[in-house]
Amino acid sequence: MSFLNRIEMSALGTALFFMAGCAMADVVVVVSPSSSVTAMSQNQVSDIFLGKASRFPNGDRAVPLDLEEGSDERDQFYMKYAGKSPAQVRAHWSKIVFTGKGLPPKEVLHSQEIKKLIAENHNLIGYMDRSMVDAKVKVVAVME
Amino acid sequence: MSAACVLMALACGNAMADSGTEFPAFSLRGFGTIGLAHSSEDKADFLANDLQAKGAGYSRDWSPDVDSRVGIQLDAKFMSQLSGVVQVVSEQRSDGSYRPEVEWANVKYEVTPDLSLRAGRIVLPTFMVSDYRKVGYAMPWVRPPVEVYSLVPLTRSDGADVSYRMQFGEFKNIVQITYGESSADLVDSGGKVKGRNGWGISDTLEHGPATLRVSYFKSDFSVDSPGLNALFDGFRQFGPQGVAIANKYEADNKSFSFISVGGSYDPGKWFVMGEWGLTDSQSIYGKREAWYVSGGYRFGKFTPYATYSRVGMKSKTSDPGLPPPIPQVSASAAELNAQLNTILAEGPDQATVSLGTRWDFAKNAAFKMQFDHSDIGKGSPGTLDHMQPGFKPGGKYNVFSVVIDFLF
Repeated sequence: MSFLNRIEMSALGTALFFMAGCAMADVVVVVSPSSSVTAMSQNQVSDIFLGKASRFPNGDRAVPLDLEEGSDERDQFYMKYAGKSPAQVRAHWSKIVFTGKGLPPKEVLHSQEIKKLIAENHNLIGYMDRSMVDAKVKVVAVME
Repeated sequence: MSAACVLMALACGNAMADSGTEFPAFSLRGFGTIGLAHSSEDKADFLANDLQAKGAGYSRDWSPDVDSRVGIQLDAKFMSQLSGVVQVVSEQRSDGSYRPEVEWANVKYEVTPDLSLRAGRIVLPTFMVSDYRKVGYAMPWVRPPVEVYSLVPLTRSDGADVSYRMQFGEFKNIVQITYGESSADLVDSGGKVKGRNGWGISDTLEHGPATLRVSYFKSDFSVDSPGLNALFDGFRQFGPQGVAIANKYEADNKSFSFISVGGSYDPGKWFVMGEWGLTDSQSIYGKREAWYVSGGYRFGKFTPYATYSRVGMKSKTSDPGLPPPIPQVSASAAELNAQLNTILAEGPDQATVSLGTRWDFAKNAAFKMQFDHSDIGKGSPGTLDHMQPGFKPGGKYNVFSVVIDFLF
């Protein structure tokens, strides 16, 4: 699996994407437009969301935000970027939480809320369906 | 103000209303296991660790006491860099009760995102899964391989630790240094084991799905048990030879050391892991070595696994004791020699093959079923305890276990 760094803004692009037959959420990773981070690898993203790294590649502190547990976007994100099922993610975090080594990412219930938070804070990193991306956020990783 | 924060935190779980976090912030979480274990050896008890009073086999045909437990944890964030945690666990104790005990209670200060200091009661970082050995949900197996994890039954340290995380390229490394004191109550003898001045260092190196861990721990270890005290006092009655024997075997501020190396490879669909450990107690408990290898494959919600584990004594399991003609002349000297040798022979020597499967049947709950076939070395009781008259050492036994692990 390789990563690409590009921002898709065209409706044509979105239409082609749907015509390609992918009916499920296509999850991209986003940060604030004010962040100096431009591109991240799959491992860099999954390390932050699994609590193994707490900084962006540029050295800034990274604070991850999760979507609601059980949501398609969340399940897709962890399967694509970390190769883990929901149960594996829970087991992973239980090892960290119940040894006092850290806490899982804050859970935010809606993509709209994530966008609002990320726009205001260059330390936050989140994921959302590609169709939700707008000028409030900057895409830094895309998994095909 | 703080009561409202607690209520809000408890009601909303982890949800964040706005981008600022209210301090102090609290969250409550828990874990548990309900289990039943059956052992084919009914003249001894199968235990998960040395600190359990009753097990499967002799005490109960189907025992819930081996694996059942519940733990509750309160996390508090006081400031952006200062947090605290308290974890209370209820599981079978050395007195047979399920008395809740504080497993952890510490305060953590994050000097930088990579360097943190903790003070209070901390988990002793012995083996790879030692830290979370009580959280069944976090592990693939019903329980960590008994041969390896019974090498060091102490699970916590009262003191402080420092953790430093570094990254170079795709390699992530965490070093942890611990200093503290540990203690635990012994089962049968009604005594206590204490480890003072305990220093530990562990290093975990990760690269993608591969993890390598090395750990070393050393402490001044003492066992205060009426039975052993009487034995060594007895030997000391027999002049310099008796004193030498007592000094050699008594666990009185002896240097206990432990080293382990472990590795795992978990790309997602399958996993392989293994660990090796060596303890040296410089006392009647001897020098022990244990290791295991385990692997599993994930088929949707099912994860079947297999494990092979071994433990053996590296020190002598017998001693001539007080030399002739003393035991021939004195019945009590002969008795002391016999008692010493009985205890030395109780060192574990065992190999186990385990087959099991985990089924993640519901959110936050997993069902596991495991079958263990154990082969005990000649003259040893293996990892079994509470041997009854008629127990034959050096045999074979099987254990069948079912558990449900859950998080809440």
